[in-house]
This record gives sequence, C-alpha cells and structure tokens, in this order.
Amino acid sequence: MASEIEKGTKYIPEMTQSEIDDLNKSMKTSSLKVIEDNIEKMKKSWKDRPQVMEYFDEISNLFGKRQEEIKQQKATGKKVIGYSCIFAPIEMILAADAIPVRVGSGWYDSAKLGDRIMPVEVCPVIRSTVGAKMVNLSPFLELSDAIVMPLTCDGRTKLSEMLADHKPIWRMNPPRVKDDPHTLSMWKQEIMVIKEKIEKLTGNKIDRKNLKTAIEKMQQATKAFRRLQELRKGNPVINGRDAMLVNQTSLWDDIERWTQKVNELCDELEKRLEQKEYSTYPDTPRVMLTGTPMIWPDSWKVPNLIEESNPQGVVVVDEQCSGDRILYDPVGVDEWTMSDMIDAIGERYLMACTCPCFTSEHGNEDRINWIIDRIKEYKVDGVIYYVVRGCILYAMEYQRIKNVLDKMNIPVYYLDTEYTREDVGQMKTRVEAFLEMLEARMDI
Amino acid sequence: MTNNNEKTEYWRWLEYKKVRPNMDPKKAKIITAGVDVGSVGSKAVIMLDGEIYAWSVMRTGSNSSDSAKKALGWAMEDTGLTLDDFHYIVGTGYGRVNVPMANRAITEIACHAKGANYIWGPTVRTVLDVGGQDVKAIKVDQNGKVVSFLMNDKCAAGTGRGMEVIADLLKIPIEDVGKVSLSVTEEPKPVSSTCVVFAKTEAVGLLRKGWTKEKVIAAYVRAMAIRMSELIEKVGCEKDFVITGGQSKNIGIVDRVEKILGVKRLPVPNLEETGLDPASAGAIGAALFAKALYEKSLNQ
Repeated sequence: MASEIEKGTKYIPEMTQSEIDDLNKSMKTSSLKVIEDNIEKMKKSWKDRPQVMEYFDEISNLFGKRQEEIKQQKATGKKVIGYSCIFAPIEMILAADAIPVRVGSGWYDSAKLGDRIMPVEVCPVIRSTVGAKMVNLSPFLELSDAIVMPLTCDGRTKLSEMLADHKPIWRMNPPRVKDDPHTLSMWKQEIMVIKEKIEKLTGNKIDRKNLKTAIEKMQQATKAFRRLQELRKGNPVINGRDAMLVNQTSLWDDIERWTQKVNELCDELEKRLEQKEYSTYPDTPRVMLTGTPMIWPDSWKVPNLIEESNPQGVVVVDEQCSGDRILYDPVGVDEWTMSDMIDAIGERYLMACTCPCFTSEHGNEDRINWIIDRIKEYKVDGVIYYVVRGCILYAMEYQRIKNVLDKMNIPVYYLDTEYTREDVGQMKTRVEAFLEMLEARMDI
Repeated sequence: MTNNNEKTEYWRWLEYKKVRPNMDPKKAKIITAGVDVGSVGSKAVIMLDGEIYAWSVMRTGSNSSDSAKKALGWAMEDTGLTLDDFHYIVGTGYGRVNVPMANRAITEIACHAKGANYIWGPTVRTVLDVGGQDVKAIKVDQNGKVVSFLMNDKCAAGTGRGMEVIADLLKIPIEDVGKVSLSVTEEPKPVSSTCVVFAKTEAVGLLRKGWTKEKVIAAYVRAMAIRMSELIEKVGCEKDFVITGGQSKNIGIVDRVEKILGVKRLPVPNLEETGLDPASAGAIGAALFAKALYEKSLNQ
C-alpha cells in the first residue's frame, strides 16, 4: 500500500492538457519530418530501390496506416500488448489473439521532456520513452492495454515504475546468470506468469492449438528474416539502412503480412544478385553495428552517416536487439505438446539472446561468439560500437569485445553519442575517418 | 602590456605565408593543393610534384568557403599560379565539405597522419593533433595510414579555442601563453573543469583568491595537458611521438604532455626553409592525398 502522502502519480508530473497537446503536436510534426527525411535519404542512396520497399516505408510511419489498423482492431475488442524488449514472448501474445507492439522510444525530442524527472546521466532511451508518455507521443504505447517489461537493466527497471503511473505493467525478471542449473526453470516460471496475465486480459485461453499456430507464424517470419540477412552476406544488394528498416518494422507490423512482404523483397533481391545489380559499389567497406539499440526514426542518424559518408560504408550486419537479434532465432519445438512448446519458447528468448545484461562463468561469451561468426560470414571490414551515454552494460562490455577484435585484426570504433542532432558534424568526422581507415586497409 | 589599452586582442595570433624560392611551378608535372579549414585556423599548402612550394596559415572566418578561398588565394600570391593550374585539390578539416575548389574531401584525421609521416618520416607511430576545437590521438603505420584514433568529445577546452579564451581573460598574448605557463616555480593544482566555460569561471575565482596570472594559466594549461595525455594513453603511445595542429606551438602544452607521458616528441623541423609546419600537417597531408588521387585518376 502506498503511503497516504503519496497521492496521484508517483513519478510523472501533472501537466496541463494544453501543454501536452502543444508538445505532442510539435514533436509529432518534427518526427514526421525525420521519418520523411530518412526515407528520402534512403531512396537517394539507392537508385532502383525496389518498389516493395514502399510498403515498409508506409509501415515505418509511426503515426500512419499501422496505427489506424490497430485502432480499428482494438475497436472490435482485440487487445494490444506492448513490450519494451525482445525478451517478451511474442508467440503467447499472438496465441491469445492479441496484437504485440514494441514501445521503446527513438525520439530525441521527447528525451528532453524526460529530463524534467531524471538526470541526464540516465540512458536517453529511458528518458525519451518517459518523455513520450508525458505527452502521449507514442501511438503504440498509447494503444497498449498492458506492457510487458523485462527488467534487463537499471534504466528499464525504474522505467517500469514510471510507466506504471499510466499503464498496467507486467514485469519480467530475466535471470542474469545464464549458466546456472536453475536459470531456465526460473525463466519458464516468468513466462508462465505472463501467460496467465495475457489470458486474463484477453479472455482467451492459450492452448496447444493456438500456440502451435503462433509459433509456426513466427517461424515463417524467422525464415523470411534469415533469407534477407543471407542476402547481405555477398556484394550489397540492399543498403544497410533499408534492411534495418525492414527488420525494425517487424516489431509493430502484422507479422504474417510482414513475412509475405519480406519474401517479395527477397525474390526481387535474389534476382538482382544473379544479375549483379548492386545497391552500392561492391568494394564499399563493410561495416557491422553493435551496441545500444538504434530505434527508428531518430537513431537513423548513425546509419545515415555511415552510408552517406565519403568514403561511403555499407552496414551489412548488426548485433543489436533493434536489428539482427529480433527474429534470428526460431522457437525450436520437438514435440508439439504444451510443455514442450513452453520449454522451447523459454529457451529461445533466454539462451539465444546475446544481451549484455547476462553473464556466466565465461562472461557474456555468447555475444563474443555471435560477433566473431558474423564478422567471418559477412566479411566485415570494421565494427562500429555504438553506445548512448548512460547505457552502462554496453559501455562496459566494449573492452572485452575490443580485445577480441584486436586479435582478429578487425578495426572497431567506439561511437558514443546522445539523443541529440547537435553532434552530427563531429560524428561525421569520426565516422568518415574510420571509413577512410577501412578503405586504406583494403587498398593494401 | 598596458591596462588602459582595453582593445588589445590578446587571443589574436600571427597569420603567415611563404613561397619557397628556387622552385618553378612551370616545370612541375603535378600541381596540387591541400586546404584545411579548421574551426580556428585555415591552412593552405601548394605542392609541386609532392614537394611543398607555398603555404599560408590564417584565421578562419565565419564562412568556411570564404576562408578556404582566402587561405588558398593567399598561398597563391606571388606564385603566378591560378586555380586552373591545379591538377587536384583536397579539402580537409572541420569545413572540408565547404571547400569550393576541392575535388574531394578527406577527414583531418587521415590528413594529419599522412602529413606527420611526411614531416617526420616513416618512424612516426603516434600523432597528437591539437586543433582549434578538438583533440585527436592517432596511431599510424610506416606509410602514414591511420591504424586507430580517438577524438575528445564536442568541447573546446584544452584546444586552440580554449587557449584563446583564457589568453583574453588573463590578458596574455596568445603566443606567450605557453612560455608564461612554464614560468611558475612549482606546478599548481590543475583546474578541475574540463569545460572551457566553467574553466573560465574557475580561473576568475582563482584570480580573486589572489593567484598570479602565471599560476592560473599554469593550472589551466596543466589540466589540458593531462586530458590530452589521457587520450593518448587510451590509444596507446608508441614512439615516435609527434604533435601537430595549432597547439603544437604551445610550449606549455607540449612540455607538460612530454613530462606526463615520459616520452619526447620529435623536434619541429626548420619551418622557414622547408615549410614543414606541424600546424599545417593537415593541409600537407591533404596536398599529398591530392597528388596520389590525381595519379590514381590517370591510371584509371
């Protein structure tokens, strides 16, 4: 029971409706402009951008078609379940006929609002998400009937309390030690708790049949996703930014339709690969991104810089929960029994994940192995390690990754930034110098 | 120094230019230029077949493209050259994309590495470039190629601009800042602020406390030298070590960085005769890249 003194919201300050409306309007306008600019830039950099990309452009409009669709479905009684992190078991949400949407915020403007209640040392992803809530900026967060929040870092732990001022929050407690014998059973209990909550909210029982259907749906998505990533291994037939956009729209799109569109895109790209029609010069330095999630639309700052730099780079792969980690791993079921399916979901979300929130006897070695494998498979020339200030776990794991990459003779650059546009000029110099360095190495 | 001369611009440093005698552009096969538009200084270097012929160093104005034109125009004075004579021009520095006559832009990081290799030779491994608004620690190989680098964050403290602000505040001509900072008998505690705005406030406070100007400037310069040394240590200081950029002239910085790191930098060459100016290392590197790029274009 909260104390008598503690009335009203616990964190989020009272604001007048007119202030909320004004800020919402100006931030939305500015965000629409950023979305439009990003798409324009992608189109400009990729002559003959396939027509099917326009589908993903449309879905990328956070205030557009997809929002309207969800609104309409909600009006028919469907529930919307938001999630802040890819640990949330999407299959369970789908099985209960609810709509899953990711609600993390990539808006720079709203981070300034978050500053009203948090010091600037706090990760801007958190400040921005709270700021977005303060002025109802995020359509998907607003539409959510509940939000699944795996507490993967300190920022997200307190974020769950802040958002609880306005939304039902379902916390998940991911184990931090991955190799303890009881880790998996503990995590499965967390998943069972979420399962019950989903069933209660939606009024739909998650059973063997609908869970199997949901798992199969997501397996199809994974298949399409892997098909696209496979295409990035050779000479570039898709620019990094476009692939990143495709990957990220899966977080809020209708997953079946998304899968179909990705397959259409891959059909086209496979043709182009055969005909050697590349999206950019084949000798462009190949960059891998890792680190803090890069959330659409404002965080496109970094891939825009890389792919518009002189010399130019192309992002061929990433190790981010906003990118290649989203759908890479399928839920692998042996027997389609309820208990087997739940086991498989538990394993997929926990054991396959390379998030730096984990440790084990050998530290977060899964991440190291993932990065090493990808560097080899995607013929990566250099790695950009992206960290926003306040993102402690990624910042701290850098040294270990760097030591490994140094041994492999793969250059890595630590690119630290904030949720701001003011440092673009300075970042441009860093990114260009890094790409010049990669280009010079390739000349030898 | 007088107190009644309020208008003296203590921060203003000497601009200079030079054309080397006994060199004939008419006999040159490849004429290139490097134009480095920094946040504080604009530098232009003209090369004849890869050898420095003329150069200029002047203050950057409010407009990058004007500054580029002025710097190169000044270097071209008394050479008989016109813009049409150049085979290739590379722009570098903060304003590199706004060098209108440039065929290509290359970052100052690559250019300083290349320039340092040219000035001091293939043994250079670590370059500290202290510019007007940022500090870069660069590791290079025997060919002058960048192996890795680090850059301070967006902040002018400890850089040329920071020094100008402090010189103005303390009414010490900018050329003397280094020397004056070394005139203290004992090193004072460094200022604690890493931001030039706060450092200025802190300096005012120290003056009020009765510190001498010399002691205050020493505290400021020392703090900045410590920051720079930390950056180099992070990238790893290998010999030979050199300092480039405008602040390579600041003996107060250079001396202290050497002491903190325990490494001597290679001595500055004879600028008057050779044009091998560490402050122009970026423009030198750019002019060399221009030559290489022109030659590459001939082979294609």
